[in-house]
Amino acid sequence: MATQTARLRLCDLQLAQGSRTVLEHINGEFRDGAITALIGANGTGKSTLIQGIMGMLKPIAGRVECSVPKERRAWLPQQLALDLTFPMSVEELVMTGSWPSHGALKGYCAAHYRKGREIMSRLGISHLAHRPLGELSGGQRQRALIGRTLMQEAELLLLDEPFANVDSETVEVLMTVLRDMARDGATIIVVLHDMEQLSRLASEAIVLAGGHARWAPVESFLQQPIADSPAPFLTHAISGVGSC
Amino acid sequence: MLTLLHEWLIAPFDYGFMRRALIASFALSLAAPPMGVFLVLRGMSLIGDAMAHAILPGVALGFLVAGFSLPMMSLGGILSGLLVAVLAGSVSQMSGQREDAAMASFFLISLAAGVMIISLGGSSVDLTHVLFGSILAVNSTSLLLIAAISSLIVITLAVIFRALVVECLDPLFLRGQGVRGSLAHGVFLGLVVLNLTAGFQTLGTLMAVGLMMLPATAARFWSKRLEGLIAVAIGIALVASTGGLLLSYHFNIPSGPAIILLAGVGYVFSALFGSQHSLLRRLRRHAAPLGAPEPH
Repeated sequence: MATQTARLRLCDLQLAQGSRTVLEHINGEFRDGAITALIGANGTGKSTLIQGIMGMLKPIAGRVECSVPKERRAWLPQQLALDLTFPMSVEELVMTGSWPSHGALKGYCAAHYRKGREIMSRLGISHLAHRPLGELSGGQRQRALIGRTLMQEAELLLLDEPFANVDSETVEVLMTVLRDMARDGATIIVVLHDMEQLSRLASEAIVLAGGHARWAPVESFLQQPIADSPAPFLTHAISGVGSC
Repeated sequence: MLTLLHEWLIAPFDYGFMRRALIASFALSLAAPPMGVFLVLRGMSLIGDAMAHAILPGVALGFLVAGFSLPMMSLGGILSGLLVAVLAGSVSQMSGQREDAAMASFFLISLAAGVMIISLGGSSVDLTHVLFGSILAVNSTSLLLIAAISSLIVITLAVIFRALVVECLDPLFLRGQGVRGSLAHGVFLGLVVLNLTAGFQTLGTLMAVGLMMLPATAARFWSKRLEGLIAVAIGIALVASTGGLLLSYHFNIPSGPAIILLAGVGYVFSALFGSQHSLLRRLRRHAAPLGAPEPH
């Protein structure tokens, strides 16, 4: 159920990597149930903003107001820290999503396993349930990781280029799942470079450039003819940011 | 035949010291291998070795102050082990030197300091006992201490198990939950130190790490699952400890090396004939045809 409330707000946020300020005076809110695309050229601070929102990078000034409980926040970085040699199956990886809310000691009951199996079937990876992580393709791995966030019942989901190096069938499956999550009220922020994917997935967009951020409805971008390559389009979008 | 078996396998345990040693090594065999499995999975196989050296100066100081008293030597060992871990961690954080380099420097200093301290205060027999263990040394107090430390390790490991698994598997997932992975990591290193101090009485400071690592590295050749790895590692440790104690009794050799050498035999056997990635498996490698059901 999409509502007009926002559980994630950025208030005059300033973020730095080391001694270099990357983003400043970021003000805005993310509506519950909205899928916001984060766009910008390399080095404009997309990952920095995500780290700031996840609380992994302390703001220099301003603050991130987030009323989503920590165990319901999920982040899928582009550079995975996932150890693929770890002896774990797809099903076990999906089940780890329930750990933050389930606690350290309690075992799983039948309902947990049922939920895990439902999630895997929704993502089309039921047949891979017992396969070790190291034997998965990029797309299968991405589906399993999204499965973990579903198991976590994530209400705030940050994705850094989730469709990079992923087959087109997986892109379709993941888009459907993400739209379903948003419909259920989750706030989703996704770094995207592909304008075609952006137009199909996101309802809002933030353009990062020159250390500033500009919120814009996706439609305003889409009125521009979509180029084969996103570069000219991005240039146009970013050119508006300077006036912030 | 039965008499012979009895004489070889059962009769030695008529002696109290052999029974105590057996129970002590069983307690260690339950506590140490799971730690080893995590060390291997975290790519920290050599940290256990470094820690084993790090406890030596403390053990030696305890020995110098109170003689062959396990509680005092253990306390010293725990303190010096933790001190080295903290020092290595801080030096690497402050200077930017890699943690393994800082750790290597400190454990070498520790080893030299430990051997020096024992040589100052005792004989070469004492040094051999501290370095390589002696089953004769396990009295009831020591047994109680070993059992208590082992129980503490198993319970703590159970409590931090999920955090440890997630931290090994995907540290960013844990950080995303606002849980500091370094806490689980610190507690885990503390457990490694505790485990080594519990083990040095039967195995010696230098050999205690063997019961942690060899069963764990051998288990990698038998299972693809975490629970399987831990179960196999514990099994290998139990067999190696029992066998090692018997060899030590019958052939009058130090118990530590006997147990660890048996675990080593287990490792070589596993590497050659294990069901996963072993040499034999690689030679007989074949894949299921397309469309075959998933192996469960």
